[in-house]
Amino acid sequence: MLIQLLTHKYPGMRLWLSQRLTALVMAIYIVSLVILLLVVQPFGNATWQENYAAWYEFSSAIWFRLATLLFFMCLFMHAWLGVSDVLKDYVFNKVLRAYLQMAVDIVLVVYLFWLVYILWNI
Amino acid sequence: MAKQMKFSVYRYNPDVDKKPYMQDYDIALEDEDQMLLDALIRIKEYDDTLSLRKSCREGVCGSDSMNINGKNGLACITKLSDLDQPIVLRPMPGLPVIRDLVVDMTQFFENYNSVKPYLINDEPLPETERLQSPEDRAKLDGMYECILCGACTTSCPSFWWNPDKFVGPAGLMQANRFIMDSRDQATEERLENLEDPYRLYRCHNIMNCVEVCPKKLNPNAAIANIKDLKIERAKESTDSKPAKKIFGITVG
Repeated sequence: MLIQLLTHKYPGMRLWLSQRLTALVMAIYIVSLVILLLVVQPFGNATWQENYAAWYEFSSAIWFRLATLLFFMCLFMHAWLGVSDVLKDYVFNKVLRAYLQMAVDIVLVVYLFWLVYILWNI
Repeated sequence: MAKQMKFSVYRYNPDVDKKPYMQDYDIALEDEDQMLLDALIRIKEYDDTLSLRKSCREGVCGSDSMNINGKNGLACITKLSDLDQPIVLRPMPGLPVIRDLVVDMTQFFENYNSVKPYLINDEPLPETERLQSPEDRAKLDGMYECILCGACTTSCPSFWWNPDKFVGPAGLMQANRFIMDSRDQATEERLENLEDPYRLYRCHNIMNCVEVCPKKLNPNAAIANIKDLKIERAKESTDSKPAKKIFGITVG
């Protein structure tokens, strides 16, 4: 199965493949979201109050929150892989690279908490 | 009829020069001087201190690869009429300069050797030869033609940044050439040999290698094929291998 490529037995392939798989999830989310918005149309009502209510209803569904959470988790993983690629290419001092990587890790974890806070406070 | 042409050539003799510099030449060329290498030989008539490698002068040996107007190529098969003047010639980037246009290709060949660029087959030698079907033989087309001039690898930024860790397009294409060879038995080892995050995966598909290859080969496709093959083999290996556990959950 493909999933064995994501284990430690494949240290290069699992990074490369994860980046592509997360990209796939993001692409599916974005295309589905655009289609859904065109179908549901939570906009174009007569008053802003009606628009607001439609948007609120659309975005507070549990599946929307979970899908959006999944999308952003993939985005954060994708970003982590991309940044660590750049660091591997350009930063040759291993200590400096570890610190830079840690800074990126912290920012991404903060983003994740922030995202959960936003999604569950709509 | 003589024709004047302007050149700007990278000069560096580490025994004499503190720093590299560009030297201008304004050279009268003869009618038979059609290729850049002809012009370089003409320059050497005026200034025999200029160093460069050359051998077959027909694009087969890969000796006279250099950076021509910013793009790597072979001087012997580059037409003078296709080049803008002044023609700027530099050694191939990313490798130490020995003198003028001559670079030290040790790293390049070390990387090439690291992929074991020879047939590995432990079966006893057959009486005649190891036969291949025409279809199997065709799988090597577009790879065996590589002359190891180094134009692709030295135009690859991933090789510039990690020359000791990233194999580079030329070496990876030869890795794929032996992976695809029906007579070779070391496919698994070859794939494993390229499985750290550097040796294969520093390739980010910018395709400089494809752009410069003087033999019009496609190292990028070869690199993509190695990745595809790893995925294909992982898909196939389901039946033969026992299930694995990640965090206690059975997978694969």
